[in-house]
Amino acid sequence: MDFRLTEEQEFFRKTIAETVDRLIVPKAEEIDEKDEFPWDLWREFAKLGYMGLRYPEEYGGMGADKVTCMIFYEEITRGSVGFAQSVIMNMLMGTHFIYRFGTDEMKQRCLIPAIRGEKIGTICFTEDQSGSDLAATRTTAVRDGDHWVINGTKQWITNGPICDFATVVATTDPSKGLKGLNFFLVEKGTPGFSHGQVIKKMGCRGTITGELIFEDVRIPAENLLGEEVGKGVQYLGEILDEIRVMTGAMALGIARAAFDEALEYARKRVAFGNPIGRYQLIRAKFADMATEMDAARLLIWRAAWMIDQGIPCTKEAIMAKMFATEVCQKVVDEATRIYGANGMALEYAPQRHFRDARFLLYGGGTHEVLRDYLGRLIIGKV
Amino acid sequence: MEIVVLVKRVPDSEAQVQVKPDGSGVTVEERYGMNFFDSLAVEEALRIKEKFGGRVTAISLGPSQSVEVLRTAIAMGVDDAILLEEEALLGGDEYATARALAAAVKTLPYDLVLCGREAFDDSSGVVGPVVAQFLGIPSVTMVTKVEVEPEQRKVKVEREAEGGRELIEAPLPALLTAQKGLNEPRVPPVMGVVKAMKAQIKKLDLGSLGLGPEEVGQKGAKLEVLRYIEPPKRRAVKYIKGEPPEMVKELIELLKTEAKAL
Repeated sequence: MDFRLTEEQEFFRKTIAETVDRLIVPKAEEIDEKDEFPWDLWREFAKLGYMGLRYPEEYGGMGADKVTCMIFYEEITRGSVGFAQSVIMNMLMGTHFIYRFGTDEMKQRCLIPAIRGEKIGTICFTEDQSGSDLAATRTTAVRDGDHWVINGTKQWITNGPICDFATVVATTDPSKGLKGLNFFLVEKGTPGFSHGQVIKKMGCRGTITGELIFEDVRIPAENLLGEEVGKGVQYLGEILDEIRVMTGAMALGIARAAFDEALEYARKRVAFGNPIGRYQLIRAKFADMATEMDAARLLIWRAAWMIDQGIPCTKEAIMAKMFATEVCQKVVDEATRIYGANGMALEYAPQRHFRDARFLLYGGGTHEVLRDYLGRLIIGKV
Repeated sequence: MEIVVLVKRVPDSEAQVQVKPDGSGVTVEERYGMNFFDSLAVEEALRIKEKFGGRVTAISLGPSQSVEVLRTAIAMGVDDAILLEEEALLGGDEYATARALAAAVKTLPYDLVLCGREAFDDSSGVVGPVVAQFLGIPSVTMVTKVEVEPEQRKVKVEREAEGGRELIEAPLPALLTAQKGLNEPRVPPVMGVVKAMKAQIKKLDLGSLGLGPEEVGQKGAKLEVLRYIEPPKRRAVKYIKGEPPEMVKELIELLKTEAKAL
C-alpha cells in the first residue's frame, strides 16, 4: 500500500494549483456576480490545453490517469465552480461519446475543437419529467431512411444555450425504458435545434444552464453514438463511476476554497483581544473540517485509482461522491459561521461557496436516489 | 542565443517562517516554489529564444526537492535543466554558491546568463553578480528591459535607479538580474507540464564541476551566519480617548516619547 501521489502527479497538482490561483481565483467573484459566461477566461484557459486532459495525445490531449483528472477537477473548482462546471462538461461528458463512438470526421469537427476550446460541447439527459429517473426520458429518436429524427425538450443543460454540439439522450423505443435509450450527436445549425429559457441560479453562476429544444431535428444515421441501438445505458455505465467521483472532486474543490479563506480569516480576525483562531471552538471546527476533507479526498483518490486499475467501483464511486458533497455542505456552513455576520455579507466569499455547494447535491444524481441505490447494492436482494 | 538561467527554490511568500528558539536557523512551512524574480528571468530567456532561436538551460543549486523548480522551468518552455544537489555543495554563503553555479555555467556554451535580482528567502542579491565575476563577464543588476543584438554581440538594458532609469549597453556574454516589471511570466501550458513530468533532470557532481569539496558549500564559505533574530512583534494599538484638544496634546506627547517620531 502506498498513499503518496507519484512525483509526476505531485508536480501536476502544484502546477494546476498555481495556474488556478493566477488565472481563475481573481475572477471568481466577478463571474458569480455577472452570471455571464466568461469568454475571455475560457479562451485564455483553453490555450493551456487542460481540456484534453483525459484524451489521448493524438487529439491534443495528455492521456492522464484518473487520479490526475480528479486533482484537476478539485483545483479548478476551487477557483470558480461556475467556470469549472463549463470546462468539465466540455472535457468529460460533453465529448466522451464522440471520442468513444464518433467517426473520424466527427472527432475532427467536434472533439478536437472542443479540446482546443474553439467549440463547446454538452450532454443532455434531464427533462421536465426525468432527471435521476432516466427511464422516463420522453425525447424520441425515430429512424427515417438514412436519418434519425429527434423530438423533445431537454432542461437544466449545462452549456446548453451556448453549445456548438450536444450529445442527446433519446429513446428509440419508449416501451423498453432504460433499454430504449441511445446517444445522438446534434450539431448547432441543424434545422429544428434551438435553445429556450436560460435558468437563473443561486449558485454555480457563470455557467449558462438552460433548455434545448428539438423539433423534427434530422441527423444522419451515423450520428447515433454507439455500435448498437438500445445500448445507451450500458455505454453510460462505462463512465458513470468517473462522473460520480468527478462530482465528489468538485465538491471537495468548493470545500477547499471555503476552508482556505476561513483559515486566513481565523488567523487575522481579532475578538476579545486575540485572533479567533486561538479559541478552542474555532480550532475544533478546523480540526473537524480538515479531517473530513482529508477523508473525502482519500475516498475520491481511491475510487479514481480503482478506475485506473480497472477494478469495478460502483459502490466506492457513490461513497466518494456522497461523502465529499456532504462534507462540502458542512464546510461551507462552518466557514460562514467562522466569518460571523461577515459570512452573510456579499463582499466576502463564504456566502458564494454556501450557494455554490448546493448544486452538487443534485449534479451527478440526487443523494436520495444514490443513497437508496448504494444501500440496495450493499444489502442485496432480500 | 545560448541562454543559461539560474533558478532557486524558496519558501512561498505566504509560508509561515519561524526563527528557532536558539536562533540557529529558521523553520519554514512546507510551501515552496520558484523564486519570483527567477521566474522573470526564465520568461525573458524564453522570449529571447523565441525571437532569435537557440537553447535555454536552467540551473538550480539546492536540496533534491529543487528538482521541482527545474520542472516548472521546463513546463514554461526551458529546453534543459541541471541540478546541483550534492551534499558538499549545500549550505554555502553567496561566494561559495556562486562559485559552484559559475562552474556549472562553464560546462555549457553561453551568450547570456539570467537570474533574479535576489532570492525571496535571504534577499542578499549578491549571487548573480558574483557568478559574473567568476565567469569574468560583465553584469547588470535589476534590469527592467532587455534588448539583445546577437549580430553586434551586445545587449542593451534598462535598469531602475532611484525612481529613474539607466540605459546600459554591455558586450555578450553578460549576466543580467531581473527586476519586477521586466515581464509577466507565462502560465505553463499542459503540454509543457507533460514534458516536465517526464523530463530527466541532469545532475552535476563536484568532479564534473572541476571543484574540490573545500571550495564549495559550507567549507568554501567565507561568511558565517551567527544568529537569526525574530522580527519585533507589532505592539498593540493604543487608543487615545477624550476631547479632541486633549487627544491632540496626548498624541503629540506620545509621538515624542513613545514613537520618537518627533
